[in-house]
Amino acid sequence: MTTVLLLVSLALGAWMVAVIEEWTTSGRFRLAAPLFAGIALLGRESILARKPDRLFFEVAPVLLLLSAVLAAAVIPLTPNLVVANLATGALFVNAALVYVLVALLMAGWGPDGAYAMVGGWRFLGQLIGYAMLVVMPITAVVMRAESLFTTDIVMSQAEVWNIIYQPLGFVLFFIAAMALAFLPPFDLPIAKGELAGGVEAEYSGVRLAVFRLGRLALIITLAAATVVFYLGGWQGPILPPWAWSALKIFGVTIIMLLSGRMMPRIREAHMLAWFWKLGIPLALLNIFIVGVLVLVLPS
Amino acid sequence: MSIELLLALTTGAALFGVGIYGALSQTNLVMIMMGVELILAGAMVNLVAFWRFLHPYTPAGQMFVLIVMTVMAIEMAVGFGVAIARFRAKGSVEMEEAVELKG
Amino acid sequence: MTAQMFFIGFFGLAAVWFGIVVFRTFSMVRSALALLFSQTALGAMFLSMQAEFLGVLQIMMMATEMSIMAIFMVMFMMDPGGLGTMEMTHQKRLSLWAGFVSFVGAVLVAIFVDWGPIAATAPDAAQQTVDLGLELLGRSMLIFETAGITILTAMIAATAVAIQPIKRSS
Repeated sequence: MTTVLLLVSLALGAWMVAVIEEWTTSGRFRLAAPLFAGIALLGRESILARKPDRLFFEVAPVLLLLSAVLAAAVIPLTPNLVVANLATGALFVNAALVYVLVALLMAGWGPDGAYAMVGGWRFLGQLIGYAMLVVMPITAVVMRAESLFTTDIVMSQAEVWNIIYQPLGFVLFFIAAMALAFLPPFDLPIAKGELAGGVEAEYSGVRLAVFRLGRLALIITLAAATVVFYLGGWQGPILPPWAWSALKIFGVTIIMLLSGRMMPRIREAHMLAWFWKLGIPLALLNIFIVGVLVLVLPS
Repeated sequence: MSIELLLALTTGAALFGVGIYGALSQTNLVMIMMGVELILAGAMVNLVAFWRFLHPYTPAGQMFVLIVMTVMAIEMAVGFGVAIARFRAKGSVEMEEAVELKG
Repeated sequence: MTAQMFFIGFFGLAAVWFGIVVFRTFSMVRSALALLFSQTALGAMFLSMQAEFLGVLQIMMMATEMSIMAIFMVMFMMDPGGLGTMEMTHQKRLSLWAGFVSFVGAVLVAIFVDWGPIAATAPDAAQQTVDLGLELLGRSMLIFETAGITILTAMIAATAVAIQPIKRSS
């Protein structure tokens, strides 16, 4: 039952992301457009590249979708709506989302095309940048909650949300999450302007539909993870828990999609330099500050 | 003798054997490192199996696995460092061409 | 036959199978990703042996490690796509025998040793995580710190070896 509910909310979320994305890019607000686009993709011919690595080519879109859904499985939307409340939930979110990289590498290598391959390897470089900035802020969150259960992490924010308790960690995690979901300005593997779609370039028809769905699910999962780790999850006055979760996820998604839109795409080398020389010291500082706060403040 | 323990140990032994084969038979440094990774993976399976079926209430068993993971990471880092240096100097990382290492 | 037995056997078989695929395919990226799936199957096996933290950690760490391995394979191989089906092995007979003998030897040891009483239960996952944390920051702290220092040393050594030598322009 919870699984079905989660899948339905994921599908709704993906639809919402698609609508918002169109609104932020082209300024048109059309509720039915994603559905029509999806149906149109299903009807189109699914072209196979010449001399593909067939296995990778077929598996990649499914793996992308799967990793996003698996990560969503440990995220609590209400106190009871969590598919698997693992004792290592906060770590599991990471573990599932690393497979986004594997999926993109497969999608880049599989079709035997130059643009796709450049996109795939670029994402590997991108991972070297963002990976630490996903893990280290989560470490600080877990330190405050003193538990890896995602539900305990939400409960630890009953009085003060983590965004106020550790704003530095929130900013770092938010940026790293945008890099993980390859949203602009970190859309190096897709890079519509320079790589003609990058890893997506050789996909069409049903496979492209699955790939795009996986990407939408990834964005909504990351927004939900941000809400759970930093914005107090389902907690809030008056409204029921599911409504608060939905509202917060909606807000985070809009900010994620809007904030990078006006910035130029950041270059690979610059991104690595910023993330490693500035981001990681700040993340360590964040862990230190949270450690001091946890010790000093009465719980 | 429990079947579960035997299954896990057999898996470890098989991974170890495959790893030995790979490390000895491949001519490329990166492929040799893959063999070594498999050997370490076999060791890890055994450690987890011993922890679970013989001493489940001793957390030091789990810590040993973490150390093996560290060793894997170190092996990768140093191995790739050597590979890059070798490639820059000689233009390949094939072991057959590294005859100057023969005494 | 219990569910635990089935899952250990199944994931073990998958891990060994992917391990063999590593050395049987000609495509280098396939080879690296086969190693990744071998390690992932091991992670699943840890999960079925109730070592939840280790299993999830294994699944997470190996994905990154093996993907990085893939790019090095493509960098250093003459034929990364495996289209030329190049032979890249030597002393094959010796290696096969060495691998086979070590496998059989290890299995024989596993069968004939008396392992003593088998523990029926293990602490639950949350308790394990707590115990492991206390172990790492308590009794085994020195060992763990040593591991950290060793990683730092390895990082510096690898960078020092790999860095481009500066050519002085005269």
